[in-house]
Amino acid sequence: MNKYYWDPYITRILALKLEDGGFVNHCIRKYRPDVTAWAILLLNSLSSTSHTTVIQQARTRLAQDQQPDGSISISPDQPQAIWPTPLSIFAWHGSSSHRQYEEQAIQFLLEHTGLHMEKKDGNAVVGHDTSIPGWPWIMHTHSWVQPTAMSMIALSMNGHDTHERVLQGEQMLLDRQLPQGGWNYGNTTILGQELQPFPESTGIALSALSGRVPQTTVQQSLNYLLEELPRLRTPISLCWGVLGLQAWNMAPLSTENWLRDCLKNESRYGEYDPASLCLLLGTMMPHGGIKSLMVSPESIYSIA
Amino acid sequence: MASQLPHSRESELTRRQLLKITLAGSALATSGIVFANWVKPPALQARTFIGKANSYESDLVPTLLGGFQELSVTPQEIKGKRILLKPNLVETRPDALHINTHPRVIQAAVEAFLHLGAKSVVVGEGPGHRRDALQILEEAGLADVLYEDRIQFVSLNDMTGYSQPNIGRQTDLTSLIFPDIFQEIDWIVSMAKLKTHHWAGVTLSMKNLFGTLPGLYYGWPKNVLHHAGIHESILDITATLRPQFSIIDGIIGMEGDGPIMGTPKPTGVIVMGRDLPAVDATGARLMGINPYKIPYLSRASNWLGAVNETTIKQVGESIISVQQNFELLDHIEAHQGIRLS
Repeated sequence: MNKYYWDPYITRILALKLEDGGFVNHCIRKYRPDVTAWAILLLNSLSSTSHTTVIQQARTRLAQDQQPDGSISISPDQPQAIWPTPLSIFAWHGSSSHRQYEEQAIQFLLEHTGLHMEKKDGNAVVGHDTSIPGWPWIMHTHSWVQPTAMSMIALSMNGHDTHERVLQGEQMLLDRQLPQGGWNYGNTTILGQELQPFPESTGIALSALSGRVPQTTVQQSLNYLLEELPRLRTPISLCWGVLGLQAWNMAPLSTENWLRDCLKNESRYGEYDPASLCLLLGTMMPHGGIKSLMVSPESIYSIA
Repeated sequence: MASQLPHSRESELTRRQLLKITLAGSALATSGIVFANWVKPPALQARTFIGKANSYESDLVPTLLGGFQELSVTPQEIKGKRILLKPNLVETRPDALHINTHPRVIQAAVEAFLHLGAKSVVVGEGPGHRRDALQILEEAGLADVLYEDRIQFVSLNDMTGYSQPNIGRQTDLTSLIFPDIFQEIDWIVSMAKLKTHHWAGVTLSMKNLFGTLPGLYYGWPKNVLHHAGIHESILDITATLRPQFSIIDGIIGMEGDGPIMGTPKPTGVIVMGRDLPAVDATGARLMGINPYKIPYLSRASNWLGAVNETTIKQVGESIISVQQNFELLDHIEAHQGIRLS
């Protein structure tokens, strides 16, 4: 696979850039902080100086809407929807001129949690411990698996891997791991029935727990992904599944072919949304784990 | 979405009726008579269609077209309209026919609306638990149908939105955010599944509207709505969005611990109508459930639509001829005391 393989996709992403440096979604041309962060992660991972200006402009645009508390919301008129905050930390990471924004966002994550309530003994409605703090998608709601895992990764990569909040996040993820293995959005049982796992939640949680817990603690979740992955060909499920396994050095040899098949599947689904496309192209790079998306790994152009 | 209300809804007051009531109220108020105790608004009337369909393999288009005819949905009304079908797609397991609105029902609805002259028909959904809508399409078997027939799918979860003042005001939410594509749609059709639900008692065409709100703003799950109150949120979304039509897939429904972990219940029906509370009330009665024991339906009655059986003209099959008692579970609070006696 040479650079010409990637060029049309990179061109597609660059076409979504606004004059002010931000990126839009493909169907409705409104600025989106999450798409902007994903575009930065992808372009940064190319290790090509030709995108340096675009990346810096995008980082600055991302900072423009940072709220006084340090969070980044999906849009200024929806300040509670703070889930793009860890993504923004990934996007600013490594840029000295954006360090102050990154620090403020980190502080926000350290100081805020979801809505939690005391776990009542004998409460059979939900199976998980509702008192363990994590992070929510939207402020003033409960904590869930994906925003908690993303926040843990953002804090860990900034030296907070032993901070109490990260330890709480770890405890929360382990509490939400399904007895049969894997994670879903964040409920284990409801009214006594065990729920089903999802590949995307499982992959993100495994990335966050990599290096933190013994493999035996998550072995059933790894097994779940190993079993599921061969049938997955949609970007979000496949990529997070692959990243989760790569974080534990357990990605199967066929991974690269599955990712290429997934890219070809645009003929079936139509063009992927830009966040999914960035995730997919980023996952196709040679080194594993979500961390590889954030710190200029080897150029994808080097893949032979 | 175009802002006009549904064409000639029989369940709504006409402008002339409203004017009469208002004028009468003004006159009586000035003469000192207590208006509120004297004039009751007329009960809302609705029509609901029940069609028999014993399997997903049968040709469902004639059933839907028959329903449209009975409900006075004419080619003149549909011609040139842009239709969005909103199915119920949740996390699923391969070959689980009782969880999601079945692809063949969706496919038949696309065909039926195009047959009546719709300008376009798209399928849109914002699943409550998963961000990967494409994977849900695959697992629900819908991806093949969409691909074969070149039907457009839009992920409502990932779409930016526009804010609308909350007309229902049953929750503390001052506004609701709907996906931008709704501004380019003339008719929203809620295509629900006939299921019991462990929080709401039932999930039908009104609960299905949770999936119209983008996860971008409400999360995965749409926890903002849970905190605001499930029944109250159902009412607010329905009051604010005012979908034009509903089609419920009850060919194979779900009983017990719905909406995901329950068991299949072959019922062999499709329920249709313009008035969502009326369609849901009929759906509940089909399941042997008293709609007045479902808080959102009880509160919607004679406000958002007709719920009282005497105000719903049943066309097609009668309720009694196809009614089956769906299993309700003792340990589920929302199932307690809702059985139709």
